[in-house]
Amino acid sequence: MMADVSAPKSSDQLSVRSLVHLARFAVPFTWHFLGVVALVIVFNTTSVLQPYLVKLAIDNDIASKSFHGLEVIAVVYVSIVIIGALANYTQVVLLQYAGQSIIQRIRMALFRHIESQSMAFFDKNAIGRLVTNVSNDTETVSQFFTQFFLSVVRDGLSVVMVIFAMFRLNAGVAWQCMVIVPVIFIISFAFRKRLRVSYQTARTRLSSVVAFLAENLAGIRIIQIFHQERRQANAFLTLNDRHRQANVKSYMTSVMFNRSLDFLGNVSVAAIVYVGGLRVLHGAMEFGTLYAFISYIRQFFQPINALTQQWNNLQSSSVSADRIGRVLAVEPLVTDNKDLVNSLSDEEVRGAVEFQDVCFSYKPGEPVLTDISFRVRPGEFVGFVGPTGAGKSSIMALLTRFYDPVSGVILLDGEDIKSFLQTDLHRHIGIVQQEMFLFTGSVKDNIRLFRDDISDETVVESAKVVGAHEMIMRLPRGYETHLVGKGSNLSTGERQLLGFARIVALNPKVLILDEATANLDSQTESLVQKGLTAVAKNRTTLVIAHRLSTIRHADMIYVLSKGRIVERGNHEELVSAQGLYADLYQKSGIEFEMEQTAHP
Amino acid sequence: MNQPQRLLQSYLMRHKWSYLLSLLSILCAQIVQVQYPNLLGRYTDLLQRHKVTALVTLHYSLWLLLVGLGYVILFGIGQFRNGQLGRRFEFEMRDALFKHWETLSTAYFRRRSIGDLLNHAMSDVQTVREIMSMGLNQMTTAVSLLGSALVMTLTTISVRLTLYAIIPLLLVPVIILVIGPRIRKASRKVQEGLSDMAELTEESLSAIRLIKATANENIEASRFQKRVDTILHRQVSMIRLFALFQAVFPFVESLAFCIVLLYGGYMAIHGNIQLGGFVAFTLYLGMLVQPLQQIGFVINNWQRASASMTRLSILMSEMPDIVDPELPLSIDKIQGDIRVDIPRYQYADGIVPVLEDVSFSIDKGHTLGIVGRTGSGKTTLVNLLPRIFDPPAGSVFIDGHDVRSLRLEVLRDGIAYVPQDGFLFSDTVRENIGFSVENATLEDIEQAAKDACVYDDVVDFTDGFETLIGERGVALSGGQKQRTSIARAFLKDAPILIMDDSLSAVDMNTEKRIIEHIRHVREGKTTLIIAHRLSAVRHADLIIVLDKGKIVEQGTHDELLKQGGIYADMFKLQQEGEGVVV
Ligand SMILES: Nc1ncnc2c1ncn2[C@@H]1O[C@H](COP(=O)(O)OP(=O)(O)OP(=O)(O)O)[C@@H](O)[C@H]1O
Ligand SMILES: Nc1ncnc2c1ncn2[C@@H]1O[C@H](COP(=O)(O)OP(=O)(O)OP(=O)(O)O)[C@@H](O)[C@H]1O
Ligand SMILES: [Mg+2]
Ligand SMILES: [Mg+2]
Repeated sequence: MMADVSAPKSSDQLSVRSLVHLARFAVPFTWHFLGVVALVIVFNTTSVLQPYLVKLAIDNDIASKSFHGLEVIAVVYVSIVIIGALANYTQVVLLQYAGQSIIQRIRMALFRHIESQSMAFFDKNAIGRLVTNVSNDTETVSQFFTQFFLSVVRDGLSVVMVIFAMFRLNAGVAWQCMVIVPVIFIISFAFRKRLRVSYQTARTRLSSVVAFLAENLAGIRIIQIFHQERRQANAFLTLNDRHRQANVKSYMTSVMFNRSLDFLGNVSVAAIVYVGGLRVLHGAMEFGTLYAFISYIRQFFQPINALTQQWNNLQSSSVSADRIGRVLAVEPLVTDNKDLVNSLSDEEVRGAVEFQDVCFSYKPGEPVLTDISFRVRPGEFVGFVGPTGAGKSSIMALLTRFYDPVSGVILLDGEDIKSFLQTDLHRHIGIVQQEMFLFTGSVKDNIRLFRDDISDETVVESAKVVGAHEMIMRLPRGYETHLVGKGSNLSTGERQLLGFARIVALNPKVLILDEATANLDSQTESLVQKGLTAVAKNRTTLVIAHRLSTIRHADMIYVLSKGRIVERGNHEELVSAQGLYADLYQKSGIEFEMEQTAHP
Repeated sequence: MNQPQRLLQSYLMRHKWSYLLSLLSILCAQIVQVQYPNLLGRYTDLLQRHKVTALVTLHYSLWLLLVGLGYVILFGIGQFRNGQLGRRFEFEMRDALFKHWETLSTAYFRRRSIGDLLNHAMSDVQTVREIMSMGLNQMTTAVSLLGSALVMTLTTISVRLTLYAIIPLLLVPVIILVIGPRIRKASRKVQEGLSDMAELTEESLSAIRLIKATANENIEASRFQKRVDTILHRQVSMIRLFALFQAVFPFVESLAFCIVLLYGGYMAIHGNIQLGGFVAFTLYLGMLVQPLQQIGFVINNWQRASASMTRLSILMSEMPDIVDPELPLSIDKIQGDIRVDIPRYQYADGIVPVLEDVSFSIDKGHTLGIVGRTGSGKTTLVNLLPRIFDPPAGSVFIDGHDVRSLRLEVLRDGIAYVPQDGFLFSDTVRENIGFSVENATLEDIEQAAKDACVYDDVVDFTDGFETLIGERGVALSGGQKQRTSIARAFLKDAPILIMDDSLSAVDMNTEKRIIEHIRHVREGKTTLIIAHRLSAVRHADLIIVLDKGKIVEQGTHDELLKQGGIYADMFKLQQEGEGVVV
């Protein structure tokens, strides 16, 4: 079964593992990261020297009243600081560059991976969520490679250095200070689970807010027409508020966590004053040393605090990494079979299509197609009719490999379509659907789909063939007219015409028209059909239509009902067979009144 | 005064006591915290003078402990309250945005991509919220720490040493002034790049079937790559500025520290200050520089937030263009008489009129059929009725009243509409059909489904009416989608029903049945049907034929056939392929 990647996993399964998994994107930047580590060491060393220099100043120079000594210390200090500042600058640039490049790579990989999925994936995953994966989650994950990494290196290093300095200064006192370490662990451990759970709740609720917004903005016209503004606003209010509450709770937890550690730091200073003070009192320690210890303890807690702040970052990036990871982990259900590649060139394809005992279902237990078998010879014009929901579109979805059948095989020119690369297959088999997609961009780019290999002349030529040229020339800037918001400045039929121009420009060997002319008037429809046949005489054409006039002259008509082919033959044969087709045909008369059959 | 800033201000005003409380507690926390160096300095002096006993040591450590506890509690409260208030702001802002969007017209949404709007609601609001809670926290902390530390050094140590030490710190505002605006600009660029990418992603994924079917994956990926690369470049320029900002502060701190070392050391050697004073001062210095650095960061973030604020304010200042009239007629319910008299209608961004001299009228209870070639203006015409686009004043009348003089609520409550592209929500079948009426009963929904001939399909699904239909109804067949949106409109049972080419995806048999149901359930109510298949309008009381925005023929089916014009041609063309006339 297909994984629904938006479903939250149980919180404990979700772990740093997904982050580690994404680390492969960071591998090419190993040198950058090593550079960062080196620079951090340089910078840290320069800052750790500060209390040491003061100690020198106090114990040697001020005590011995030597101003010259102070000057020397000052000069040393300034030069160290300049080095530190340079190191700091380089480090920030290097690290952020690496981080951004990692985002770039993850984004590309993610986009390509999503593109390679079969339709079953898009049936289950809302586009709004996938967009969030690509734009926001990647951003969040990169914090792991930048802020978190930096903090671990820099603050971890600081902690080590401070500890080292403390031991150098006075091992005895230093050992006593180390009591803090287990306490820090205990506190962190106590908060760990609560932090994670509360963060995750907040994140899940955020997704709902985003999904709700995305969908309602898309359907805002429906909301307005049906005057449901108040109801949707209330629904949004609820989601929004739940999101807020989760965040407040999560924030509360993290404030408590950070303040607890803060308090521990303060307790430690008090303790060191007490313990160290007594030692100084007994002459067991110099005062300068006590000073240094006090600053070290405070310096010790600064990185610790910074590290725990990063805990939140770790949470968010591991949750995001997990979301990305779950998308990346979905194997496309429809894949290319690399072993038996069948690479017929465009000229070699003849366009014979055959279905052998094909069965298919979207959900297990709900068969949509049963035992579909038929054969289409090259250049034939074949019609598919049947009541709505019979499975006509599903047949075409199989032929284009949007899905793979549960059983049975589909052949193109006698070869299993699975043995073609999908890109080749899609070059040979084209489809125009009732639903039209347009991209933000010019009319021209929409026809040639941004391809460089289709010239302006071809674009105009194709538009002329399907009768779209005239309509395009009426637009403010002709072929350069910018189409906005999914092409909503065109009428539905005009959009459909662009779709036809597109397919003429691509010129596939097998063409599927899935109710593609349903939104066109009969005149335009016949123009389009003439145009289509004129440009490709030997093209195999499969047409689904509810308007029987569209397929009346087909070489062969298949009648579907409830997922089975129930009748086949040409128009005359089917009419004389007195079956479902004849019934449909009879009722399709414009002046046919329903009452005549309503009461048999 | 622009909107979000006003929102921000009014928010701050409404919550001023809460804010005062949290600011006060942060302030107190800082006052408590500066006692640290003071206590330590005093203790050092005692030590130096050998006046320390074990008891004194204990005394001082306990004081330190108390100070620590006080600080943690006070600061924690302030920090939490600020965060909480920030989240409330975010909540209110998003709510305001959504309500605002609901008032804007189709003309507005055509120009905007959803990805871009989402980016406003999510990341821009978040940036502003961050500056409000975290920024405020840090700013208060920094300012109060700076203030108290200055007061302490000035009063307890040495005025001159303090003044000398802060000379280098004066560089800080200069740096902020120079780099700040550039960061703002760079950050806006980055935001725009991100919006751009989100937009493309959304568009590509919506059109994934097309992309796959045309083997266009690589082209699409390279378009995506271009966006991603732009983001990288813009990020890198911003990072440079950022890094500069970040590296400069420790540097300034060190300059100040040098002065303290030299001058303070000098003073200590000459006995102008106590050694304890010197020690305390070095500690205070950290307290001076750290807040400055924080202020720098806050200002830096403020620059970014103000870029977001500008974006939000542009969005919020968008005026709804289709609104209730100033003096609405006091009518609560419309009956369904329609009169249209449009001399000319042109879209704002069009170059030619889409409708010209369109006039007709139909009485309550009648059915109007509209046919015509692709792009002839049928959808445009019916969109003017519920004011999806605004008709010119005095051109569209319902019950004799200009639609622009009716309250929107009354107008739209009186019209049920099946749009040409029936949008469905990714919810259950039941919720989708029930969308038009709050708290619709299951019986009503089932009846609407039966009238729209989708009932049998739905009960065949394993989950029946509770079946989830996927995003925009992907799990339904074309005809099932269309009939679901017909059922949604039927459920509303309004005086006027508009069906825009809504039978195009159903088979002839079903079409006939639906038309039959319409004639039955719409008895006495007005119905407008746009269709390409003449069978759907044949029974209409009046059929108008549009061509290039003009009414070229009108009459009943039989009259039009007799006229032998466009309608008759259409009839012939369709009849030729369809069944015999019975
Ligand atoms: N993506 C999907 N997931 C689950 N079920 C689906 C999906 N697409 C279609 N179905 C179901 O499969 C059945 C056949 O659908 P199909 O789209 O093939 O019908 P059709 O013959 O093309 O109908 P129409 O004439 O209405 O377009 C329908 O009952 C539909 O609900
Ligand atoms: N929002 C818009 N802005 C500018 N021009 C538009 C807009 N919407 C439609 N048009 C143009 O107005 C004309 C009429 O469009 P309309 O959608 O009313 O046609 P229609 O009769 O419904 O066609 P169809 O049968 O294809 O649905 C078309 O030429 C179209 O390009
Ligand atoms: Mg279909
Ligand atoms: Mg239309």
